[in-house]
Amino acid sequence: MNRRRGLLALVSSGVMVASLAACGGGDDGDGGPSGEDNGSSELGAPWILGTTDKVTTLDPAGAYDLGSWTLMYNMYQTLLTIPAGDNEPQGDAAESCEYEDPKTFTCTLKEGLTFANGNELTSSDVAFSLTRNIEIADPNGASGLLSSITAEEGGAVTDGAIETPDDQTITFHLNRPDTIFQFILTTNATAIVDEETFPADALVENAEAVGSGPFSMDQYEDGQQAVLTANPEYDGPKEPQSERVFVQYFQQPAQLKQAVQTGDIDVAWRSLSPTDINDLKDSDSVSVLEGEGSEIRYWVWQLGTQVGKQKAVRQAAAELIDREAIAENAYAGTVDPLKSIVPPGFPGQIAAFEEKYGANNADEAKKLLDDAGINTPVDITLGYTPSHYGPNAVDEANEFARQLEDGGVFNVKIESAEWTQYQNLYKENAYDLFQLGWFPDYLDADNYLAPFFVDGGFYQNNYSNEKVNELVAAEQASSDPAERQRIFKELQTIVAEDVPLIPSWVGKNVAIAGPGMEGVQATLDPAFIFRFWEVSKAE
Amino acid sequence: MAASGGSLARYIVTRLLLIIPMVFILTTIVFLLLRVAPGDPVSASLGGRLSEEALDQRRAALGLDRPMLVQYLEYLREVVTFQFGETITDNRSVIDIVKDNGGATLTLSVAAFAVALVIGLPLGLIAGRFRDTVPDLVIRIFGIITYAAPVFYWGLLFQLLFVLQLDWFPVGGSASPETIFLVEDKTHILLIDAIIAGNSEAVVDVLHHLVLPAVTLGLLLSGIFIRLVRVNMLQTLQGDYIEAARARGIKESRVMRSHAFRNALVPVITIIGLQIALLMSGAILTEATFNWPGIGNELVQYINLRDYAAVQGIITMFAVVVVLVSILIDIVNALVDPRVRY
Repeated sequence: MNRRRGLLALVSSGVMVASLAACGGGDDGDGGPSGEDNGSSELGAPWILGTTDKVTTLDPAGAYDLGSWTLMYNMYQTLLTIPAGDNEPQGDAAESCEYEDPKTFTCTLKEGLTFANGNELTSSDVAFSLTRNIEIADPNGASGLLSSITAEEGGAVTDGAIETPDDQTITFHLNRPDTIFQFILTTNATAIVDEETFPADALVENAEAVGSGPFSMDQYEDGQQAVLTANPEYDGPKEPQSERVFVQYFQQPAQLKQAVQTGDIDVAWRSLSPTDINDLKDSDSVSVLEGEGSEIRYWVWQLGTQVGKQKAVRQAAAELIDREAIAENAYAGTVDPLKSIVPPGFPGQIAAFEEKYGANNADEAKKLLDDAGINTPVDITLGYTPSHYGPNAVDEANEFARQLEDGGVFNVKIESAEWTQYQNLYKENAYDLFQLGWFPDYLDADNYLAPFFVDGGFYQNNYSNEKVNELVAAEQASSDPAERQRIFKELQTIVAEDVPLIPSWVGKNVAIAGPGMEGVQATLDPAFIFRFWEVSKAE
Repeated sequence: MAASGGSLARYIVTRLLLIIPMVFILTTIVFLLLRVAPGDPVSASLGGRLSEEALDQRRAALGLDRPMLVQYLEYLREVVTFQFGETITDNRSVIDIVKDNGGATLTLSVAAFAVALVIGLPLGLIAGRFRDTVPDLVIRIFGIITYAAPVFYWGLLFQLLFVLQLDWFPVGGSASPETIFLVEDKTHILLIDAIIAGNSEAVVDVLHHLVLPAVTLGLLLSGIFIRLVRVNMLQTLQGDYIEAARARGIKESRVMRSHAFRNALVPVITIIGLQIALLMSGAILTEATFNWPGIGNELVQYINLRDYAAVQGIITMFAVVVVLVSILIDIVNALVDPRVRY
């Protein structure tokens, strides 16, 4: 609290109430609600993270959102993890993991692991964690990611899918060849919980949630704040730099921005608008830090409409789109152009759309349509949703429409609907081309291909290509990295040729750091894991 | 004309019984409005990520695929038993939300009421006393502006001025993270908990955070109070007893203080109580503007998520509070005002 504020606070609060307080109980306020100081004194000063993310629960079986997962990544261990700046799974609770074949995956746990409550962590806890997630099948949870060990009828683990021959070893017998499973084991769908604390058939109360990660939860106030304290039982590579981390929750991005500007919080992470980010770049009091991101936006062709089903129309539109201009004009340069549906940095990624179409090729677009015998201008209905994807979605829609019309071969009508209604409309062929966004579940190119192109994708755009289906199945079954990368490239090439969608941009992982903050930049990578243990605040 | 004790009891019972149809109508409207609005909690949170089949499975798990009548009857059962179940999106007990966040809303409401009284009463009295003078004109304009301008507008202006420009107050929240962490939660009212803990630093911190939201919401109410008090003051000044007091040679200041001001405030007291609904709706917007961890702030979040259970439960709670307070005011009014017939 600075001097001016302190003075005003004293004046505004009045002496009377303070005197009342002085006459109250004897707790001097040191050391938390219980009066104990759980922080390790040799660690750095506490710091405050601000975010607009919302937390669903602290139980890994009940959440599938980044707000919850951010806390979980710091509270729990998983068998595997994605280190900062990397995209290959490495051991977390596991000493080693390996595929014996594409359907059999075995991990060996590190010795001497314990939960924050002192209970021993064994392979039985790992099996319990995954089993309860599948059996609880919470509607807000991520049990769907465990389909490789889920029985066909759902709600139960496949017979014999999890084997624990001893306390240190766990073997997964997968339903199908699935080399993606190792990436699933880095997510909080597989966070390891204490079987002596967590109920097998229900979510645990937030106050009782306990893990074995570098931090433990000291206090959680719904929608207000979480307080994590360095876990003295943790003995691994994720060594905390600070004794305590406060996470403060904001409802509005504007409040988050103001809080970091005024020093009420030390770091603002997720989610500020491009305008706010650019505004803060001019500020002397904070630093805008950017890392590679993995969140993407793209425009989907609805092949169920008369316009969308014509490949030449789709290709002609792809010829006209200038992604650099979208990033600059609609997002003030706070995002990067997305030149393939798979963002840069993923093994096997190629700039397929840029290689095939370039940008602003009006002549080529006209030729494609003429060759196909399609009369121009072609009328297109463009759909977007105004708030779900942030305030700049409308700017992107306008820029996208402008580029299509500037080519002289399209007449564009823009329509919008709120998110809940929008989802029905795009499936009901209300738009020829519509905007969507994606945030990956795990860091593998497969997560940008399989959900999108196998039999119409999750968005049901009626695109189907047998070759694509076969290639996706093949890469998921292959444990050979080189082979998978070859398949990824082939898939991206086919997608660029068929144009079931047009990639638009990939976001950056942005944080705003106040004075004295260190280690923030290191955690800003496409995994979107905010690694509290990497961050410290100078005293 | 005053009535007998028996008829007063009947009046109170009748007013209490009227709560049932009032709450029933309101809860039914809330239920229907939520269902009429496009979308549901599943598509709001997971749409655009999962296939339609997976979304349908989640809807079925939450019981959202059942006929609307079945859902409605179950909802009514919950209202009658005062068990509002759990929220759909984060499995919180609705009762817990009211318990955990109600203290913050109560703190804000009481503080705002105090601000409104401190601003509204004296200004209303002054405006009435100096009718058609410059002070009266200024105060009337002030009253109209504070009542007419949206509460979030004042909130944003105050944030720009007092937070960003002058750096006098924090952006929002009910206290600094350290205070919330250190003060043990005993009553769900942070200010009282800080007082009980004897932590004067925490008390100052909580009050420091309370100033801007309370003034913002208080200004809204003060506009109403100014107008009410002014009108009553004008009527009082025309009373025969005021003339009589002056005729007896009593000093003007004493006439005002002992005769006019006190009498002008009597009818205002009951009217002030009826502003509870305005206070509640204003609290929702104020809490959202200042990230104040009250029930209103939670309500806004759950509306965005289309969380039927949470929205229904919270609005029903709000409705019950408003209805109860209104009836309490009616009863008090009946007791103190002989003109009320029952």
